[in-house]
Amino acid sequence: MEMKQSIRVTDLVCFLAVFEVGSTTLFFLGAEAKRDAWIAMGIAALIGLLLLAMYLLIYRSNPGLDLYGLCRKYFGKIIGSAVNLSFAGYFAYEASRNLRDLGELTLLTLLDRTPLMFIMLTAIIVVANTVRYGPKVVIWMCAGFLPIIILSYFTIYTLLVSSGLIQFELMLPILEEGFRPAWTAAVPEIVSFPFGQTLLFLLFFPLVKKKEKLSRSVIITYVITAICLIMINQINILVLGPTQAANSTLPLLQVVQLIDIAEAFERFDVLFVIVLVLGLGTKMAAFFMGAAMGLHKITGLSYKMWTVVVAVVIFALAFISPNYPHHIWLGIKVVVTYVTPIFQIALPLILVLVIWIRSMWTKQRQ
Amino acid sequence: MLGRLLKKALKRSRPKNSTQTRTDAPIEIRMTLQESIQTLTHIMGNSTDFMVRKISGREDLPEIAICYIEGLVDTNLLNRILESWLTVTLEADQMPGIESLLNKILPAGPISKLHTTQSIISAVLDGKAVILADGMKEAFSASIESLEKRSIEEPSSQTVIRGPKDGFTEDISTNLSLIRRRLRTPSLRVQSMVIGSYTNTKVIMAYIEGIADESVVSEIRARLQSIETDSVLESGYIEEFIQDNTLSPFPTLINTERPDAVAGGLLEGQVVILVDGTPFVLLAPVTFFRFLHSSEDYYQRYDLSTFLRGIRFFSFVISLLLPSLYIAISTFHQEMIPTTLLISLAAQREGTPLPALMEAFMMEITFEIIREAGVRMPRVIGPAISIVGALVLGQAAVQAGLVSGAMVIVVSFTAIANFAIPAFSMAAAIRIIRFVLMLLAGTFGLYGILAGIIPIYAHLVSLTSFGVPYLSPVTPLRFADLRDLFVRLPWPFLKTRPQDMNRRNMVRQGMNRPQQGKK
Repeated sequence: MEMKQSIRVTDLVCFLAVFEVGSTTLFFLGAEAKRDAWIAMGIAALIGLLLLAMYLLIYRSNPGLDLYGLCRKYFGKIIGSAVNLSFAGYFAYEASRNLRDLGELTLLTLLDRTPLMFIMLTAIIVVANTVRYGPKVVIWMCAGFLPIIILSYFTIYTLLVSSGLIQFELMLPILEEGFRPAWTAAVPEIVSFPFGQTLLFLLFFPLVKKKEKLSRSVIITYVITAICLIMINQINILVLGPTQAANSTLPLLQVVQLIDIAEAFERFDVLFVIVLVLGLGTKMAAFFMGAAMGLHKITGLSYKMWTVVVAVVIFALAFISPNYPHHIWLGIKVVVTYVTPIFQIALPLILVLVIWIRSMWTKQRQ
Repeated sequence: MLGRLLKKALKRSRPKNSTQTRTDAPIEIRMTLQESIQTLTHIMGNSTDFMVRKISGREDLPEIAICYIEGLVDTNLLNRILESWLTVTLEADQMPGIESLLNKILPAGPISKLHTTQSIISAVLDGKAVILADGMKEAFSASIESLEKRSIEEPSSQTVIRGPKDGFTEDISTNLSLIRRRLRTPSLRVQSMVIGSYTNTKVIMAYIEGIADESVVSEIRARLQSIETDSVLESGYIEEFIQDNTLSPFPTLINTERPDAVAGGLLEGQVVILVDGTPFVLLAPVTFFRFLHSSEDYYQRYDLSTFLRGIRFFSFVISLLLPSLYIAISTFHQEMIPTTLLISLAAQREGTPLPALMEAFMMEITFEIIREAGVRMPRVIGPAISIVGALVLGQAAVQAGLVSGAMVIVVSFTAIANFAIPAFSMAAAIRIIRFVLMLLAGTFGLYGILAGIIPIYAHLVSLTSFGVPYLSPVTPLRFADLRDLFVRLPWPFLKTRPQDMNRRNMVRQGMNRPQQGKK
């Protein structure tokens, strides 16, 4: 009976793919690098791969412990709890960003006359209801979402190519202004979002029962997803051109609007919004769960109670920005540069160092 | 949370002492025949169909009495017993034991010794004839029951084009024989129990040893044994007592009238529960996708079966979503509709007074009324209903400008798609959920539909049927089982049983494909 109920590598890998695609396609990443956005994303993906390798290293040092357990073990009770609390706060903030993205996206495309608050309230209730079932159900649900997401992006790609909207010459010349714009676009913005966010998976790796092939499968999935994301991101350039892509609020949606089959099916964007909302919702659920699991571990109070509390916190945090441009500026410029590197790079690096020093110590004593 | 509270309330409100009134402590049979008969008639409350026939024709044998209930026993067999009792020749001079004598004259079937009045009464009520002898401490029961039963007919609720045409009947032993006839193996284990303090309904649980998961079998057995109720009149009673989630609209046991479907389920590791008095037999554990499969899928060619499964999955989606999609798109997202269609839709809707949501609700409710009336009304009035339903509520309503023509099409298509779902219990769940989704579509458009579907999906993922995840093999994903899910591969490729029901005895057939003669 236990076997049927456990999370397996296949499930986790589906979750990782949906999580990575998540809200990424909503934005045009690497706008500063203009037509070399794909190079910027490639660099970021490679750095993200290094980060993922570091996270896997941390995980393999103690396969039974998740991020919170590790911090508690290696940083001691007081510092560990403080670090854990800050991680939980960071996850809650990321979830609130997704909530705001979801609300604004819906407001812009589907429900232009409904107040933002109602849209976000509905979303947080639906997501909290899902998170309440625990990590297993959320991770399993992705096995159903992934085919929908793959199918819709595949359809969009095929339709774009077949209707002749893609102009490959828009990509040329490559590296017109040298390597520097691509690098500055990639670090730290694109590294932090979306590639470095795999940090969250330090919470989900220990849930997998059969651990063989976990690292390999995770890395293969990451690489494939990253390549797909780069291809999807580059569509913006190939169809809209660098200037329009950089200035558009929802560039990929604008691209999808250009599709027109037999003058009967012209507005795929509405259905595509549904796919985006699915991705956003999954990502939000993942971060939400991360925060709730953390608070559950730190305080020992019940997970379901924390689900309600965290839902309220996320809902409140989503109103930090007075308007959408401020929200984008805050997320894509400020937080990504000054806050996320602390959680995605600095703290895990310290953790690796501490683990390494500790293991050296114990070896020397023996 | 709410579910747990309700469950607690249910548990608390269940009375501690079940209604046991007929017989209390077991009573020893009285020594004299007359006294025993008096006790029995007293317990039966002088019911006129309770018959006691005393036979005292033989002087060399003790006086005996046969008790039975008129109509439950075979009168011919009864006559033969009487006859042979009066004519049986004693071989030796000495007085033979009553038991061996009875063994000689009673017909085939088990003869059991009864020691208490209670057991006599229940044997009589089961349709057996009980023989009491003067001066004996025990009674004997003979199985000569002959219940009036329907002959085996084609199942009315699940019909097939190709496949066996026999269906279960109300008689549990006939039903069991129909399963046995298909599975001639000693591994088919059958356990019977009696549930219901008034109805004393026979309930049989059967599974194939070595294929069914033992933990599932013992879980089902335990849940069946824990049922405390006074009556079981249909398998629906049992279903509601033992299902995993009482408040879920989705069924976690599947019912069928088809013995071949039951045999197929047993071979995949399911456990079957037969209830006396109903042709509907329960199978558990069951996953969501099995409600969209038909046993015919395995009899027709694989390509046709795959196509038909596709049609069924499509009609599932249509039946769930079409009215709400129509409401959402025509109210919130008109830009999705092709321009020419939009113009004709707008022209149709111009004359109708109600918003799309109200219109859809009205038509859906109307259809549900017609459907319910169609089930309940006397058969002779059938044509009248179809005329009123089709002409008056369809065509005339459009002409009168009450509803738009497009709405009538949407509602009828939804209704027909609902009939394409093979399992009635699943179709019924969708019928209810559809109204919720329509309401959400009317308030939040496509976003509302999504906000309705995600909780349903999460609920389905978290639901289990006797420990088996309800949506397996999609969540959790098991690639091997996808061979027989949305598609049905040819039999030679289906080498293993579905993994969700069992983990051992996986191999279904030889690994070699049958050789085709070389030319």
